[in-house]
Amino acid sequence: MTERMILSIGTKKGLFVAEASRTRGRFSLRGPFGSGVAVYSTLVDVRGASARIYASSCNAFFGMKVLVSTDRGKSFKETKSPPAFPKDDGRALANIWSLEAGAAKKDLWAGVEPAALFHSDDGGDSWEKVAGISDHEHASKWKPGAGGMCLHTILRDGKRVHVGISTGGHYLSEDGGLSFAPSNEGIGSAWNPVSYPEFGQCVHKIVGHKDAPGRFYMQNHGGDPKLPGIGVLRSDDHGRSWRSIAKGLPSDFGFPIVAHPHDPDTVYVMPLEGVTRTCPGGSPGVWRSENGGGSWKKLARGLPKKESFFTVLRDAMAIDDLSSPALYFGTTTGQLWIGRDGGEKWERLFESLPPINCVKVAQA
Amino acid sequence: MPFPGSPAADITVAVSSPLRDFCGGEAEIRVRAPDLRALLVELERSQPRLHRAICDETGRMRRHVNLFINELHMSERGGLDATLAPGDVVTILPAVSGGKT
Repeated sequence: MTERMILSIGTKKGLFVAEASRTRGRFSLRGPFGSGVAVYSTLVDVRGASARIYASSCNAFFGMKVLVSTDRGKSFKETKSPPAFPKDDGRALANIWSLEAGAAKKDLWAGVEPAALFHSDDGGDSWEKVAGISDHEHASKWKPGAGGMCLHTILRDGKRVHVGISTGGHYLSEDGGLSFAPSNEGIGSAWNPVSYPEFGQCVHKIVGHKDAPGRFYMQNHGGDPKLPGIGVLRSDDHGRSWRSIAKGLPSDFGFPIVAHPHDPDTVYVMPLEGVTRTCPGGSPGVWRSENGGGSWKKLARGLPKKESFFTVLRDAMAIDDLSSPALYFGTTTGQLWIGRDGGEKWERLFESLPPINCVKVAQA
Repeated sequence: MPFPGSPAADITVAVSSPLRDFCGGEAEIRVRAPDLRALLVELERSQPRLHRAICDETGRMRRHVNLFINELHMSERGGLDATLAPGDVVTILPAVSGGKT
């Protein structure tokens, strides 16, 4: 089967799938699937012979579902069950914030609200709570951010598992997820009486790179003049310690952070004003560093130059893996943008979708 | 008799359209239960997906779901302890909670 570029777009009103040839000329749109129900996480899983698209369908009335498609997003069905806390746990699932592929072909991980981690070894039909982080001794002390108390980032690096919790901080497992410890040295927290606490930071997103083991970039909750520069960080020791790379950005507040698929020194952020969480000065731009955060350049050719006040949420920016990759971001105003040539030239693919929560892309 | 010691009544559960996806498309389900709490227990046994749409995994009723006994909201009939009589209709309706989304 000829590979196509597949975009999976989670919105406030359901999931959309856009498809194009590898030249990314014209994207056709289908959906919404799970119509009317918010989708906060999606995954284009290309590990098997045929791709699967997963999406969480987070119904505020009737609870959660995990949707799956085996025909590149032409149709979706429910998996046999969503993640659920054991009855005697006392917690109830409020949202599914992250779906990530695991090591084995049908392994899946889900990060949820209230902050907890679930694992499935059968493609999402059954789930087991990962006690090492979900029942961590700190869990009762984590506090919800504006989006809820969510475990939103799951990164695997061999035996290491990194999770990002808002607001709990970054936790690292070095035993495959059996046990976790806070790993937040250098990550600031502007609303905590302790500026650099052991845990409790409002981490927004973390990204690693397959070609640079131990290297991670983080978008943390910045934007506070009391602690300038805490918003965009880098680690070179598997997330044990972090340092600011925010110098040169118009704001260190933002939600997503994305790494170039073939160059670990190239990283992208979408700076937002800390108070309004909209584009600085009404002029949106993705900012790129090609030297690991040493300096930054605004990429805005084709984007509005003024009067643009949208927000791009933590999972709403993605990059494909072609040799000259394209970036994609979705806005809370329902626009989906493509930045060709690594973000050098922007075009609006769709202009009136529902508010966009998440965007994932893969060739499938 | 599913509930020894209590007379179980024949009850019709009216399933509103947004919830029929959780019970094979059925608009009505017949159950035997002496009170509302027992009715939910019976639904958990016989219609687990529908029950999960009404109650979360702790067993608490979801915030945006309402149960009516005939024409009265469950809160006007004693909540989950409301007794049921043969012929009662228990209607499951989503709350009017729009606006935010």
